[in-house]
Amino acid sequence: MSSSSTALRELQQDLENKANDLSKLQKDIAKNHQVRKKYTIQLGENELVLKELDLLNEDANVYKLIGPVLVKQDLAEANANVRKRIEYISAELKRLDGSLQDLEEKQHSKREAILKVQQRIQSHQAGKAKA
Amino acid sequence: MGKSQVKGTVTSLSSMFPAEEVQKAAKMVEDKLSDKQNEMNQLKEFIANNTSLINLVQKLPDELHHDIMVPFGKAAFFPGRLIHTNEFLVLLGESYYTERTAKQTVEILKRRGKSLESKVNTLKAVMQDLKAEASFFDSTASEAAEGLVEIREYEEDNSTERASQSGSLELETPSVAEADNKMGASEDDEYARIMSRLEELEKEELAAEDNEENLEDEDEDANAVESDGNEDELIKAAEGDGDEDEWTKAAFHRKKDECYSYLDHGQRYSESQSRKQLQQFNGKEPIEEMSNKYKHQDLTNQFASTGLTEEPVTKGEISHGRIIQQDTKSLSPSINASAPFEKKSVQASKSEFDSSKAFTGSIVEHTQNLDKSSVGTNMTSLQSSGSQPSKPVSRFKMQRK
Repeated sequence: MSSSSTALRELQQDLENKANDLSKLQKDIAKNHQVRKKYTIQLGENELVLKELDLLNEDANVYKLIGPVLVKQDLAEANANVRKRIEYISAELKRLDGSLQDLEEKQHSKREAILKVQQRIQSHQAGKAKA
Repeated sequence: MGKSQVKGTVTSLSSMFPAEEVQKAAKMVEDKLSDKQNEMNQLKEFIANNTSLINLVQKLPDELHHDIMVPFGKAAFFPGRLIHTNEFLVLLGESYYTERTAKQTVEILKRRGKSLESKVNTLKAVMQDLKAEASFFDSTASEAAEGLVEIREYEEDNSTERASQSGSLELETPSVAEADNKMGASEDDEYARIMSRLEELEKEELAAEDNEENLEDEDEDANAVESDGNEDELIKAAEGDGDEDEWTKAAFHRKKDECYSYLDHGQRYSESQSRKQLQQFNGKEPIEEMSNKYKHQDLTNQFASTGLTEEPVTKGEISHGRIIQQDTKSLSPSINASAPFEKKSVQASKSEFDSSKAFTGSIVEHTQNLDKSSVGTNMTSLQSSGSQPSKPVSRFKMQRK
């Protein structure tokens, strides 16, 4: 009886740990989603800027706001910068996608593990009730 | 009736779609809907701001300089002048500015406005989908709350399963779920087609009915007021000779109309429908009884096989009408047909196609009015042109959407 109750307690602790891990995973996934959203918006904006820059004449002035300073920039330079930024953001998004998938898989496996532990607990309790 | 044993099970709708869960789902959809509504409002505000900005930018170059009150800090202004009225530093995004004239600025702003509009349109489409979902959930919840019941009846001698439902909601029954899934893909397209054809047929039939006084009255009654009184009328009429035609026709029409009305009618009608069938059932000769039962069962089977998940009975009733036609045809050539339901309807439609016999209420004697026959063949030909078994399903799906 006592051995089974200690086993039961162990199982329950195990269950708690797994539940904590699962909630952490879920938080990570939520954060991932948020960052992804931000990046997607930035990507959209940068693409808009690129479009407008392409429509500009060669001699038009382009300025960049750096802090409180509006700095004059070369059109070619601005184009290059915007393009690089777009590439960087897309790479970040891809990375985030990969890690999101990872996290989801881990979450899935954690859920299954939790289920198993729960089943074991149930069988233990059933056994105890019979005895 | 003597040959077969009828077993039955009765399941409450609410057990299949628990009321609370459906309500929860409905709530979730409503929340999503309100979120989208907020987004929509924000976008609309942006668009409004954009247009007012365009107006301002267009007006500024009218003067060489404007006398204005210049904001100074958080809470002060001082009088000043706005010069260089045609030079604008436009924010392109991501802290990039560029100098543009008024005209060029207006062009930039217009492009921005266009992208905003397209966003609004996509959001509208999403909201419409959500609304449809929400209405479906609401209807499900109310129906489950009303305690509607799904009735399944099994007939043994023909070794085919028939299921009948008196509820207005039709749920996926496990026995025909697979059939439904198979047919799922092509249904939606056919559904649209079939709906339009149905409307055409309706018009034809209405025109046809103008030739018959009885039908007219009954149909008008049936269509106008779907009440028990009319049903009794119809039933009496139906139990006369050759009046089954009229009954089915009236029923058919009624069903069609119900397609456009919604739940309540459907409920009443389905109840009256099953009642009528039972009445006919009891009052007729053996063969007719059999055929009636076939009809009834096929109707219900059609119901089940379509695996209607969402649509109210109205649709099923339309299929009822169609099935009646089909079944009467199939029954006449081979009363003892024990083919499975789908094949039966296929056979029925094919045979209808060939035989140019119209649907009739009575099964044994094919008393057919020419008009009805033409309508019937049209209906069946339409049905056979689509994938027959799935017609009721597709119709349901279309209405769902």
